[in-house]
Amino acid sequence: MANALFYLMALGAVAASLGVVLAKNPIQCVLSLLASFFCLAAIYLLSGFQFLAAAQILVYGGAIMVLFLFVIMLLNLGNPGVADRIDAKMFSRENVLVGFVVAAALLFAGALAVRQSGEMAAPTAMPEHGIDAIPGLANEMFGRYLLPFEAVSMLLLATAIAVVVLAKRDKRMEKHHAANAARAEGVKP
Amino acid sequence: MNVPSEHMLVLAAILFAVGAAGFFLRRNVIVVLMCVELMLNAANLTFLAGSRMHTLKAGATHPSLQGPIFAIFVIVVAAVEAAVGLALVIAIYRNKQSVNLEDVAELKD
Repeated sequence: MANALFYLMALGAVAASLGVVLAKNPIQCVLSLLASFFCLAAIYLLSGFQFLAAAQILVYGGAIMVLFLFVIMLLNLGNPGVADRIDAKMFSRENVLVGFVVAAALLFAGALAVRQSGEMAAPTAMPEHGIDAIPGLANEMFGRYLLPFEAVSMLLLATAIAVVVLAKRDKRMEKHHAANAARAEGVKP
Repeated sequence: MNVPSEHMLVLAAILFAVGAAGFFLRRNVIVVLMCVELMLNAANLTFLAGSRMHTLKAGATHPSLQGPIFAIFVIVVAAVEAAVGLALVIAIYRNKQSVNLEDVAELKD
Protein backbone atom coordinates (compact mmCIF):
# COMPACT_ATOMS: atom_id res chain seq x y z
CA MET A 1 0.00 0.00 0.00
CA ALA A 2 2.69 2.47 1.06
CA ASN A 3 4.81 1.32 -1.86
CA ALA A 4 2.01 1.95 -4.32
CA LEU A 5 1.52 5.39 -2.78
CA PHE A 6 5.22 6.14 -3.23
CA TYR A 7 5.14 5.31 -6.93
CA LEU A 8 1.88 7.22 -7.36
CA MET A 9 3.43 10.30 -5.72
CA ALA A 10 6.60 9.91 -7.78
CA LEU A 11 4.49 9.83 -10.93
CA GLY A 12 2.60 12.89 -9.72
CA ALA A 13 5.83 14.77 -8.99
CA VAL A 14 7.24 14.04 -12.45
CA ALA A 15 3.96 14.97 -14.17
CA ALA A 16 3.70 18.22 -12.20
CA SER A 17 7.33 19.12 -12.99
CA LEU A 18 6.65 18.55 -16.67
CA GLY A 19 3.69 20.86 -16.20
CA VAL A 20 6.03 23.57 -14.87
CA VAL A 21 8.24 23.29 -17.94
CA LEU A 22 5.48 22.98 -20.54
CA ALA A 23 2.67 25.25 -19.28
CA LYS A 24 2.32 28.54 -21.17
CA ASN A 25 0.74 30.63 -18.43
CA PRO A 26 3.07 31.46 -15.48
CA ILE A 27 0.17 30.98 -13.05
CA GLN A 28 -0.25 27.41 -14.32
CA CYS A 29 3.49 26.93 -13.83
CA VAL A 30 3.23 28.05 -10.19
CA LEU A 31 0.29 25.74 -9.51
CA SER A 32 2.11 22.79 -11.12
CA LEU A 33 5.15 23.56 -9.00
CA LEU A 34 2.94 23.59 -5.90
CA ALA A 35 1.56 20.16 -6.84
CA SER A 36 5.10 18.89 -7.36
CA PHE A 37 6.15 20.17 -3.90
CA PHE A 38 3.18 18.48 -2.25
CA CYS A 39 3.96 15.16 -3.98
CA LEU A 40 7.56 15.46 -2.78
CA ALA A 41 6.38 16.21 0.77
CA ALA A 42 4.31 13.01 0.65
CA ILE A 43 7.40 11.11 -0.52
CA TYR A 44 9.45 12.56 2.37
CA LEU A 45 6.72 11.49 4.79
CA LEU A 46 6.58 7.99 3.34
CA SER A 47 10.34 7.53 3.52
CA GLY A 48 10.57 8.52 7.18
CA PHE A 49 11.29 12.26 7.18
CA GLN A 50 8.36 13.81 9.03
CA PHE A 51 10.05 17.10 9.92
CA LEU A 52 11.34 17.64 6.40
CA ALA A 53 7.86 16.99 4.99
CA ALA A 54 6.42 19.65 7.29
CA ALA A 55 9.21 22.08 6.44
CA GLN A 56 8.68 21.41 2.73
CA ILE A 57 5.00 22.31 2.94
CA LEU A 58 5.55 25.34 5.20
CA VAL A 59 8.52 26.88 3.39
CA TYR A 60 7.95 25.86 -0.22
CA GLY A 61 4.18 25.54 -0.32
CA GLY A 62 3.61 28.45 2.03
CA ALA A 63 6.31 31.04 1.60
CA ILE A 64 8.08 30.57 -1.75
CA MET A 65 4.90 29.90 -3.73
CA VAL A 66 3.22 32.99 -2.31
CA LEU A 67 6.29 35.01 -3.28
CA PHE A 68 6.11 33.74 -6.89
CA LEU A 69 2.36 34.32 -7.15
CA PHE A 70 2.77 37.78 -5.60
CA VAL A 71 5.37 38.85 -8.14
CA ILE A 72 3.43 37.42 -11.09
CA MET A 73 0.30 39.27 -10.04
CA LEU A 74 2.21 42.45 -9.11
CA LEU A 75 3.77 42.66 -12.57
CA ASN A 76 0.55 41.41 -14.21
CA LEU A 77 2.24 38.56 -16.07
CA GLY A 78 -0.73 36.21 -15.96
CA ASN A 79 -1.30 36.41 -19.72
CA PRO A 80 1.28 34.45 -21.73
CA GLY A 81 2.15 37.40 -23.93
CA VAL A 82 5.89 36.92 -23.49
CA ALA A 83 7.45 35.13 -26.44
CA ASP A 84 8.32 31.99 -24.53
CA ARG A 85 7.71 29.15 -26.91
CA ILE A 86 9.85 26.02 -26.98
CA ASP A 87 10.67 25.77 -30.69
CA ALA A 88 12.74 23.54 -32.95
CA LYS A 89 15.50 26.15 -33.17
CA MET A 90 16.55 25.27 -29.63
CA PHE A 91 17.27 21.65 -30.61
CA SER A 92 20.19 22.35 -32.91
CA ARG A 93 22.86 19.67 -33.22
CA GLU A 94 25.34 21.35 -30.81
CA ASN A 95 22.69 21.87 -28.13
CA VAL A 96 21.51 18.25 -28.33
CA LEU A 97 25.13 17.04 -28.19
CA VAL A 98 25.87 19.13 -25.08
CA GLY A 99 22.68 17.81 -23.50
CA PHE A 100 23.64 14.22 -24.16
CA VAL A 101 27.17 14.72 -22.79
CA VAL A 102 25.83 16.30 -19.59
CA ALA A 103 23.21 13.56 -19.19
CA ALA A 104 25.83 10.85 -19.69
CA ALA A 105 28.13 12.47 -17.09
CA LEU A 106 25.29 12.73 -14.57
CA LEU A 107 24.21 9.13 -15.19
CA PHE A 108 27.78 7.93 -14.77
CA ALA A 109 28.18 9.82 -11.48
CA GLY A 110 24.86 8.46 -10.25
CA ALA A 111 25.70 4.88 -11.14
CA LEU A 112 29.06 5.25 -9.38
CA ALA A 113 27.38 6.64 -6.25
CA VAL A 114 24.83 3.82 -6.14
CA ARG A 115 27.53 1.18 -6.62
CA GLN A 116 29.62 2.57 -3.75
CA SER A 117 26.69 3.02 -1.40
CA GLY A 118 26.96 -0.51 -0.01
CA GLU A 119 24.67 -3.48 0.04
CA MET A 120 21.18 -3.30 1.44
CA ALA A 121 20.97 -7.07 1.91
CA ALA A 122 19.69 -7.18 5.51
CA PRO A 123 18.36 -3.72 6.19
CA THR A 124 17.94 -2.43 9.72
CA ALA A 125 14.44 -1.47 10.77
CA MET A 126 13.25 2.10 10.33
CA PRO A 127 13.68 4.08 13.61
CA GLU A 128 10.38 4.39 15.47
CA HIS A 129 10.02 8.17 15.15
CA GLY A 130 11.36 8.45 11.64
CA ILE A 131 14.88 9.31 10.57
CA ASP A 132 14.72 13.03 11.33
CA ALA A 133 13.12 12.85 14.79
CA ILE A 134 13.33 16.29 16.39
CA PRO A 135 15.62 15.49 19.39
CA GLY A 136 18.36 13.95 17.28
CA LEU A 137 18.04 16.59 14.60
CA ALA A 138 18.18 19.45 17.13
CA ASN A 139 21.24 17.93 18.83
CA GLU A 140 23.06 17.84 15.51
CA MET A 141 21.86 21.24 14.33
CA PHE A 142 22.80 23.10 17.53
CA GLY A 143 25.88 21.00 18.19
CA ARG A 144 27.98 19.93 15.28
CA TYR A 145 26.30 22.26 12.77
CA LEU A 146 26.06 25.38 14.96
CA LEU A 147 28.50 27.36 12.83
CA PRO A 148 26.66 26.72 9.52
CA PHE A 149 23.43 27.53 11.36
CA GLU A 150 24.82 30.93 12.38
CA ALA A 151 26.17 31.47 8.87
CA VAL A 152 22.68 30.84 7.50
CA SER A 153 21.26 33.42 9.88
CA MET A 154 23.76 35.96 8.55
CA LEU A 155 22.76 34.93 5.01
CA LEU A 156 19.11 35.62 5.82
CA LEU A 157 19.96 39.05 7.22
CA ALA A 158 22.05 39.92 4.18
CA THR A 159 19.23 38.74 1.91
CA ALA A 160 16.65 40.87 3.69
CA ILE A 161 18.83 43.96 3.18
CA ALA A 162 19.70 43.03 -0.42
CA VAL A 163 16.05 42.52 -1.37
CA VAL A 164 15.05 45.90 0.06
CA VAL A 165 17.88 47.60 -1.82
CA LEU A 166 17.13 45.79 -5.10
CA ALA A 167 13.39 46.28 -5.12
CA LYS A 168 13.45 49.88 -3.93
CA ARG A 169 12.63 52.45 -6.56
CA ASP A 170 15.76 54.47 -7.41
CA LYS A 171 14.66 58.04 -8.15
CA ARG A 172 18.07 59.19 -9.43
CA MET A 173 18.35 56.31 -11.91
CA GLU A 174 14.84 56.95 -13.15
CA LYS A 175 15.69 60.58 -13.83
CA HIS A 176 18.83 59.44 -15.65
CA HIS A 177 16.83 56.99 -17.81
CA ALA A 178 14.25 59.65 -18.58
CA ALA A 179 16.97 62.07 -19.65
CA ASN A 180 18.57 59.41 -21.86
CA ALA A 181 15.25 58.60 -23.47
CA ALA A 182 14.57 62.28 -24.12
CA ARG A 183 18.01 62.71 -25.69
CA ALA A 184 17.47 59.65 -27.91
CA GLU A 185 14.13 61.06 -29.01
CA GLY A 186 15.78 64.33 -29.87
CA VAL A 187 18.57 62.72 -31.90
CA LYS A 188 16.44 60.29 -33.87
CA PRO A 189 14.71 62.67 -36.33
CA MET B 1 7.33 1.52 2.94
CA ASN B 2 10.14 -0.68 1.66
CA VAL B 3 10.89 0.93 -1.66
CA PRO B 4 14.65 0.79 -2.29
CA SER B 5 16.37 4.13 -1.84
CA GLU B 6 17.80 3.80 -5.34
CA HIS B 7 14.32 4.46 -6.69
CA MET B 8 14.30 7.75 -4.81
CA LEU B 9 17.62 8.57 -6.47
CA VAL B 10 16.15 7.79 -9.89
CA LEU B 11 13.17 10.03 -9.15
CA ALA B 12 15.55 12.81 -8.07
CA ALA B 13 17.52 12.42 -11.30
CA ILE B 14 14.35 12.66 -13.39
CA LEU B 15 13.16 15.76 -11.52
CA PHE B 16 16.59 17.38 -11.88
CA ALA B 17 16.64 16.64 -15.60
CA VAL B 18 13.16 18.12 -16.07
CA GLY B 19 14.18 21.21 -14.09
CA ALA B 20 17.41 21.63 -16.06
CA ALA B 21 15.54 21.26 -19.36
CA GLY B 22 13.12 23.97 -18.31
CA PHE B 23 15.99 26.16 -17.17
CA PHE B 24 17.58 26.04 -20.60
CA LEU B 25 14.43 26.12 -22.74
CA ARG B 26 12.19 28.72 -21.13
CA ARG B 27 12.58 32.47 -21.69
CA ASN B 28 10.40 33.84 -18.90
CA VAL B 29 12.63 34.74 -15.92
CA ILE B 30 10.02 33.71 -13.37
CA VAL B 31 9.58 30.27 -14.93
CA VAL B 32 13.38 29.90 -15.05
CA LEU B 33 13.50 30.63 -11.30
CA MET B 34 10.81 27.99 -10.75
CA CYS B 35 12.93 25.48 -12.64
CA VAL B 36 15.83 26.30 -10.31
CA GLU B 37 13.56 25.53 -7.36
CA LEU B 38 12.71 22.24 -9.02
CA MET B 39 16.40 21.35 -9.31
CA LEU B 40 17.03 22.30 -5.67
CA ASN B 41 14.17 20.01 -4.69
CA ALA B 42 15.74 17.17 -6.63
CA ALA B 43 19.02 17.79 -4.78
CA ASN B 44 17.11 17.64 -1.48
CA LEU B 45 15.56 14.33 -2.48
CA THR B 46 19.05 13.00 -3.22
CA PHE B 47 20.27 14.04 0.24
CA LEU B 48 17.32 12.32 1.88
CA ALA B 49 17.71 9.17 -0.22
CA GLY B 50 21.35 8.97 0.87
CA SER B 51 20.40 9.46 4.50
CA ARG B 52 17.74 6.76 4.27
CA MET B 53 20.17 4.41 2.55
CA HIS B 54 22.69 4.82 5.38
CA THR B 55 20.06 4.57 8.12
CA LEU B 56 18.67 1.31 6.78
CA LYS B 57 22.05 -0.18 5.93
CA ALA B 58 22.78 -3.48 7.68
CA GLY B 59 24.51 -2.78 10.99
CA ALA B 60 23.56 0.88 11.27
CA THR B 61 22.98 1.76 14.92
CA HIS B 62 21.57 5.29 14.73
CA PRO B 63 19.91 7.38 12.01
CA SER B 64 22.13 9.22 9.58
CA LEU B 65 21.35 12.91 10.10
CA GLN B 66 23.67 14.69 7.69
CA GLY B 67 21.10 14.27 4.91
CA PRO B 68 18.19 16.00 6.68
CA ILE B 69 20.48 18.75 8.08
CA PHE B 70 21.82 19.58 4.64
CA ALA B 71 18.31 19.38 3.20
CA ILE B 72 17.21 22.03 5.72
CA PHE B 73 20.10 24.26 4.67
CA VAL B 74 19.16 23.74 1.02
CA ILE B 75 15.58 24.77 1.80
CA VAL B 76 16.86 27.98 3.43
CA VAL B 77 19.12 28.73 0.48
CA ALA B 78 16.22 28.07 -1.90
CA ALA B 79 14.08 30.58 -0.04
CA VAL B 80 16.90 33.13 -0.13
CA GLU B 81 17.44 32.51 -3.83
CA ALA B 82 13.75 32.97 -4.58
CA ALA B 83 13.62 36.24 -2.64
CA VAL B 84 16.71 37.73 -4.31
CA GLY B 85 15.72 36.39 -7.74
CA LEU B 86 12.25 37.89 -7.56
CA ALA B 87 13.61 41.23 -6.34
CA LEU B 88 15.89 41.18 -9.40
CA VAL B 89 12.87 40.39 -11.60
CA ILE B 90 11.08 43.43 -10.19
CA ALA B 91 14.14 45.63 -10.80
CA ILE B 92 14.54 44.34 -14.38
CA TYR B 93 10.85 44.78 -15.10
CA ARG B 94 11.03 48.36 -13.89
CA ASN B 95 13.87 49.16 -16.31
CA LYS B 96 12.83 47.09 -19.34
CA GLN B 97 9.07 46.53 -18.96
CA SER B 98 9.77 42.88 -19.75
CA VAL B 99 10.63 39.60 -18.04
CA ASN B 100 11.87 37.91 -21.20
CA LEU B 101 15.48 36.75 -21.00
CA GLU B 102 16.06 37.71 -24.65
CA ASP B 103 15.55 41.37 -23.66
CA VAL B 104 18.21 41.34 -20.95
CA ALA B 105 21.11 39.81 -22.90
CA GLU B 106 23.46 42.81 -22.76
CA LEU B 107 26.22 40.73 -21.18
CA LYS B 108 25.91 38.09 -23.92
CA ASP B 109 27.19 40.22 -26.77
